This record gives sequence, structure tokens and C-alpha cells, in this order.
Amino acid sequence: MLTNQQTVRTALLEALPLALAIAAYGLSYGVLATQAHWSLWSTILMSLLVFSGSVQLVIVAMFISGAALPSMLITAVLLNLRNLLYGAALADNLAPASRKYRWLLAFGVSDESFVLGNIRYQKYGADPLYFGVVAGTFYSAWVVASYIGAYLGDLIDPVRWGLDLAFPITFVALLIPALTQKPIIATAITALGMASLLHHMMPNSEFNLILTGIIAPLVGLYIARRSHHG
Amino acid sequence: MAEPWVLIIVLCIVTFLSRLIGVEMMAGRVLNPTLRLYFNFVPIAIMVALIVDQIFITDNGSSSISLPILGGSIVAALMIKVTRSFLLTVVIGILVGLGIRYWLHI
Repeated sequence: MLTNQQTVRTALLEALPLALAIAAYGLSYGVLATQAHWSLWSTILMSLLVFSGSVQLVIVAMFISGAALPSMLITAVLLNLRNLLYGAALADNLAPASRKYRWLLAFGVSDESFVLGNIRYQKYGADPLYFGVVAGTFYSAWVVASYIGAYLGDLIDPVRWGLDLAFPITFVALLIPALTQKPIIATAITALGMASLLHHMMPNSEFNLILTGIIAPLVGLYIARRSHHG
Repeated sequence: MAEPWVLIIVLCIVTFLSRLIGVEMMAGRVLNPTLRLYFNFVPIAIMVALIVDQIFITDNGSSSISLPILGGSIVAALMIKVTRSFLLTVVIGILVGLGIRYWLHI
């Protein structure tokens, strides 16, 4: 039986490298938010309340391009779909916690905390304390990095320093390592073709993003099923 | 200038609900494997669409390609494959994009 102290120490140690990656991402978000002309308060409030890298970066980018609230909302729902999956997989892990604490832990569900929480569960069984420390570490890194990014973004001219390039390049750096299996590659290639075509047909339409987000994964699904049956 | 308070509050609710529903209601249920796969592919498609959106610049209804962003993105794609270092890739990708921008004087 591991003591609480040991659990906290292990959780901090395992969360740290990922927290640094999250901080780098949070920095990009903070800088991007200043390009949307958001105040420091709005930028940090979003990190405090939403705590989601993909949702925040995507929505701020859409905000800059002048998207309407409903299309931003649909995109956020689409991006959040995977949280259902993560939550479902983590449910047994978090079950021993009281209801109130479990709701708090649910707020910490993200790509990274899901990965660590799942590995821990498979090794030691349910451990809400471990998950709480991991999620808390990521939350702190995210909020502090957003603040630093927003502060820096306000002081420097983003175009001069190439910070407007940070967003597409960060996404490329996140995307490429994820392209490991045929269905994922097929999804990405379809999305590339579809988004380019839609952009050509309807420049400035925020529906391009939603349409691509809904339809391109169907091609990935088709490829996955075909190779499964074949 | 209007502050995005409403947007932030709505996103807070939507995002938290997606997490809570997963933890509280999906527990013990077996998710349809097809749906599970579909969920995995959605972020990939959205990320690609966002990159494409940044590469094209729209000006008065006509669109053109931003060479600094395209060049930086291609170099970043190669860099992450070779070095596997996220931070190094982002820094080099931005520097290449900046280089192209100054070279083209845009």
C-alpha cells in the first residue's frame, strides 16, 4: 500500500515533463489571445474556467477571423467529444472519490491527465489522489503560462517576432507525430483536401472547419473498418 | 472593445459538461467501438483544417497562400520527424517563417 506522500511525490514527478509541454502550449495561447485584442483578465479567465488547450487555441483563432458565436460553439462541442471518451475510461479510476471531489477531478480531464491517469490505473488500480495531483499540476502550468504569454504578447509586436507563425507551426508540431496509423493519415489527407477545396469555394466561411471536422473522420473510419475486415 | 465574457462562460459550461458527462454517466457502459474511433479522428481533422486556414490568406474575397506560414510549416513537419523535439521544432519553424518574410519583404 502506497502512502499518500509517496503518491503525491510520484504524481508530481511524472507530471512535470508534460507540465512543461503544456506550459509551452499555454504560452502560445496567451500570445495568440493578445492578438485577438483580449485583455489580460479575459485571457487568464478563459484559462482558469475552460482549461483546455485545443478549445482555447482554436476558439481564439476563430475569434480573430471574426467567426460567429454559434459556429464557435459547435466547434467547441466537436473538440470536446473526446472528453466523453476520456471520462468514460477514467470513471472507474475516480469512483472512490466523494461526489463533490469527483466533480472537481472531472474538471481536470484532458489529453495529458487522461494518459497518466490511465497508466496509473492499470498499474495500481483506482487512485483519485494521483489524478488530482497530476491535474492540479497541469492546471497551474496552464494558467501561469497563459499569463506569461499574454504579458509577453502585449509587450512585443507579434508579427515582427513571428509570433503569428507560432499557431500554425505549433499545430504542425503536434499533428505530425500523431500520424502513425493509416486511418489517421487518411483522415488528415482528406481534411487537407477538403479544407483547401472549401476554402477555395467559400473563403472566410467558419463552416469549413466544422464540415471538415465532421466529414474527414468518416474517411478514417472507413479505412479503419476496411483494414479490420480485410 | 467588447470583452469575450459571454463566450468564455459558455465555453466553460460546454467543456465542463463534456468532462462531467464522461465521468458520471458513461461509467460502466461500453462505448460503441466505431464511435470511439470517430472521436479519435475528429481532433486530427480539425487541426489540419486550422493549419490550412492559416496558410491561406483571404483578401477581398480572393485567397492566396502565405509563403512564410507554408514554408515554416513544411520545415516544422520535417524537424519534428527528425528531432522529435517539440520546442526546438516550434522555434526553428518560426525562424524559417520569419526568414521567408524578411526575404520577401512582406
